[in-house]
Amino acid sequence: MTRISSIPFLPSLSSLPSSSLAGMAVLATGGLCLIFASVFPWLVVFPEAWSLPMSEWIGVSLTWLFELIKPAVRLVSFVLEYPMAWMNKGLTTTPWQISIGAVTALGWYIGGWRMALLGFLGLGFVLVSGYWIEGMNTLALVGVSVPLALTIGGLTGIVAYEFARVRNVIQTFLDIMQTVPTFAYLTPLLLLFGFGPVVGLIASAIYASPPVARNVLLGLQRVDAEIKEAAIMSGSTRMQQLFLVELPAAKRQIMIGVNQSLMAALSMVIIAAVIGGFDDIGWEVLLTMRKAQFGESFLAGLVIVAFAILMDRMSARLIEEGARFDFRISMGIFAASVLAWLAGSEYLPGASEFALLDGVAERVDSGLGEFTAAQGARLDEIKNGAMFYGLLPLRIGLDEAVLPFTWGFQWDAGMSALLLGVAIAVALALAYRGRPLAGIGLVLAAGMLETGIANLPWPFVLAGASALGWVAGGRKLALYAFLMLAAVLISGLWERALLSLYLCGASVFACALVGGIIGLLCAVSPMAWRIVRPVCDMLQTIPLFVFLIPVLMFFQIGEFSAFLAICFYAIVPMVRYTRHGLVETPAELLEAAQACGSTRWQILRDIRAPYAAPTILLGLNQTILYAFAMLVIAALIGTTGLGQSIYLALGQADVGLGISAGAAMAILALVADRLVQGFARSRREALGL
Amino acid sequence: MTAHENGTAKAAVACEGVWQVFGADAEHALGDALKQNDGNAKAAASLLRERGLIAAVCDVDFEVGNGELFVIMGLSGSGKSTLLRCISNLIRATAGRIQIEGEDLRAAGERRLIELRREKLGMVFQHFGLFPHMNVTENVAYPLRVKGIPAKERHARADEVIRLVGLEGRESAYPRELSGGQRQRVGIARSLAVDPSIWFLDEPFSALDPLIRRQLQDEFLRIQTHLKKSIVFVTHDIAEALKLADRIAIMRDGEIVQVGTPAEIVLRPADNYVRGFSRDVAKGKHACVDSIMRPLDKDAPGADDPGLRPNMTLDAALASCMSLYEAVPVRDDNGNVIGSVRPKDLVAALQVEDS
Repeated sequence: MTRISSIPFLPSLSSLPSSSLAGMAVLATGGLCLIFASVFPWLVVFPEAWSLPMSEWIGVSLTWLFELIKPAVRLVSFVLEYPMAWMNKGLTTTPWQISIGAVTALGWYIGGWRMALLGFLGLGFVLVSGYWIEGMNTLALVGVSVPLALTIGGLTGIVAYEFARVRNVIQTFLDIMQTVPTFAYLTPLLLLFGFGPVVGLIASAIYASPPVARNVLLGLQRVDAEIKEAAIMSGSTRMQQLFLVELPAAKRQIMIGVNQSLMAALSMVIIAAVIGGFDDIGWEVLLTMRKAQFGESFLAGLVIVAFAILMDRMSARLIEEGARFDFRISMGIFAASVLAWLAGSEYLPGASEFALLDGVAERVDSGLGEFTAAQGARLDEIKNGAMFYGLLPLRIGLDEAVLPFTWGFQWDAGMSALLLGVAIAVALALAYRGRPLAGIGLVLAAGMLETGIANLPWPFVLAGASALGWVAGGRKLALYAFLMLAAVLISGLWERALLSLYLCGASVFACALVGGIIGLLCAVSPMAWRIVRPVCDMLQTIPLFVFLIPVLMFFQIGEFSAFLAICFYAIVPMVRYTRHGLVETPAELLEAAQACGSTRWQILRDIRAPYAAPTILLGLNQTILYAFAMLVIAALIGTTGLGQSIYLALGQADVGLGISAGAAMAILALVADRLVQGFARSRREALGL
Repeated sequence: MTAHENGTAKAAVACEGVWQVFGADAEHALGDALKQNDGNAKAAASLLRERGLIAAVCDVDFEVGNGELFVIMGLSGSGKSTLLRCISNLIRATAGRIQIEGEDLRAAGERRLIELRREKLGMVFQHFGLFPHMNVTENVAYPLRVKGIPAKERHARADEVIRLVGLEGRESAYPRELSGGQRQRVGIARSLAVDPSIWFLDEPFSALDPLIRRQLQDEFLRIQTHLKKSIVFVTHDIAEALKLADRIAIMRDGEIVQVGTPAEIVLRPADNYVRGFSRDVAKGKHACVDSIMRPLDKDAPGADDPGLRPNMTLDAALASCMSLYEAVPVRDDNGNVIGSVRPKDLVAALQVEDS
């Protein structure tokens, strides 16, 4: 009584969904590579002879170009030195009493006593930390670069809005600008402007303008069509429409851009210290970090955090429309600060003479020393455990990472066969139960774990990316992913790109897992969210650079520290979006599910999770982009891969390598971005959103 | 040509063969489609749609007289708002002639358009289109501001219009602090600030609650009796159209299917589409005796004289001839007999059609 024909042992090929077909194609490519790797070694290592010396070409052509425009550039730099000097002088010579008074007064005006207190405590902390002068120097750079960024970005946004023809070009350009890692900006600027604070200024102005341009464009586009029509019908000229109606009506969105721009500028000003600071706070952090004076660098890092929080919260207040507070009280606060200066300047120390917290720094230092001495073994255990059992196998594969020295046994061909065999058996079982895609994914994962990401054959990576592109967005996206990655392949940066991909992938995986769980927890428990939310806010405000300090304090230089730093920074969007997606399910759906008699967990699993999937995917996308951004910064504390190349290029002023490695990094980020966005879009469409 | 111009010299707005086609190279596609169909608009429109273009307004002709309240009525997607935007030149029509007081709007340059808008045109929007960053006075005074009128003068004028729409006391409020009805009052005031002779209203009351809607309709009529603007009013609400209009144009799929007075629309719908609209309307309230009055020589009135007047609604007329069978006379205000009405016509006109 066996009816073999009716048992769907394996569905026929034509009946498989496209995702499974794509997966099988990738699987086949991988299998072929695995089989023929010993015969054709070029399948695994892309031969150097095949790659084009793109770095050199870029280097040569850019150097030529730079020579050409150098006079003009030097003029700009010469002109810019004046406002910078004024700003610097203004901020550093203003008595600290008056500076604090002014910020407190401003805080009161825009946000009442909370903002006033924030301003007072924030700047007060900067003062007592003894980093007042350094802080003011940093602030001066921000103070000049942000107006520059606002002008450049604002004009770009308006041009993109006015001329539909250039809009797409500008938007693509902005996309690329935001994915090109921060360090990659610095190398060409260094060549153009030479050493000195102006490089940091220009770099941060450039880095801080895309958010302005983007938000100006978005804001203008979002102004209600009828408002625009009303302006036209009132007989306005185009200029009147733009400046009297459309820009003011877009104010809220534009202020969001200003806020982002401020944070980007601060972040970049601090990173720019890498190429030679001039007594600013970023330089201070870098210096103390290099000298392993972690107490001091921690303190200086906190000063940066204080600045970041102040700028962020105060500019965020400006986004909100709403009542301003009594201006007279502001004047009173300011007047009091002037009086305090007049009356007390003889008794109170000068700005840089404060050293109340020096003791604290020393104590942190010694405490840390004691802690690492006492807990060193345990810290090493954590670090080594993560390295040997997690990161290393992922990087070079089980066949190379499993050694008697670490795992207690040697990985051999038999074990490989066993692993793959088990994976294939389980996959077949899954396929039998109607889930072929899960099976294919499992075999792929087993194969990748066996080989290691850094050792993946390049045809496999290209096929994999193209297949993902095909499933996520059709032929066009597949071609996009293929061509972009192929460009990296023939540029000779492939190995480094794979190393970056591995570290990024590992951190993103960790972030997705941990962040997803935290997000889920926050979605079910408002209490948890109340605790996690300020932490997320904090982590998102802190400039990238500062993340390095705490991981260095405990785990020293190395890949694991970089991994941790990336995770701390990149986990935030995952948490936020997961929670947001799960919480934002329409009440109607939940009520319908409840009325059907679902339990809480059933609702979460069957209703909330599928509904949240597109949002969570967007969170994952953000996490990936954050991870790439941090990857380059983490090169400072020892990573291999593209980040390291970019950092090295900066040190050697090798503009070709800097640009090509930066571009390769941007390509990886862009491809990942498009793929995940594609998946998110198709999920949204499937849900009819 | 000259004869035509003479004929339309008095029209406030005149549209002739107006087309609005969206899509790649619409102008050529339209010319091509018209040529292929020997100028047949219906066929051309369907050809355009087959080719993936959107023919939003197809070959529309109408005129709006001075001081006339002309309503364009249609379901959403029928092209009525697009047509209004063509007339006000917010979008440039693909083809046709649009004249404002005899001036060809499609031929006018950017500068002339701005001038026209500053002098002659006013427009009210469905979702009000108020500038969120300006208070009521500033919103209302904005058209005067762009004209370059000094602050004091324009605020005085703004206050005048604000009083006209009954918003005095809220001058310094911002749009977000106003209710929907109040917001539309601001929109109306702003459109009247420059004292335009031609007034465009794009579903001005559709976004409001029924109660507020009726209140604003009444006020709108009150304002119009004062100001006597030439009005193009767009709505999707047949009751509103019947209540306000001097004449109504009914649109479907970009074409005007019927133009007529409210009574004509209700009593003599051109086709089933129009009939569908008027089905739910209590006709007796909208149509008057003159719409079914016949000349004296056709039907001599009988002996009974229930005292019909030409501007009496059918409901009222029927009430006074309930038991009569023969034709009855209709008299004007001076008591002269000007026509006759057969009671059975009255009943027939009031019958709700079932087709």
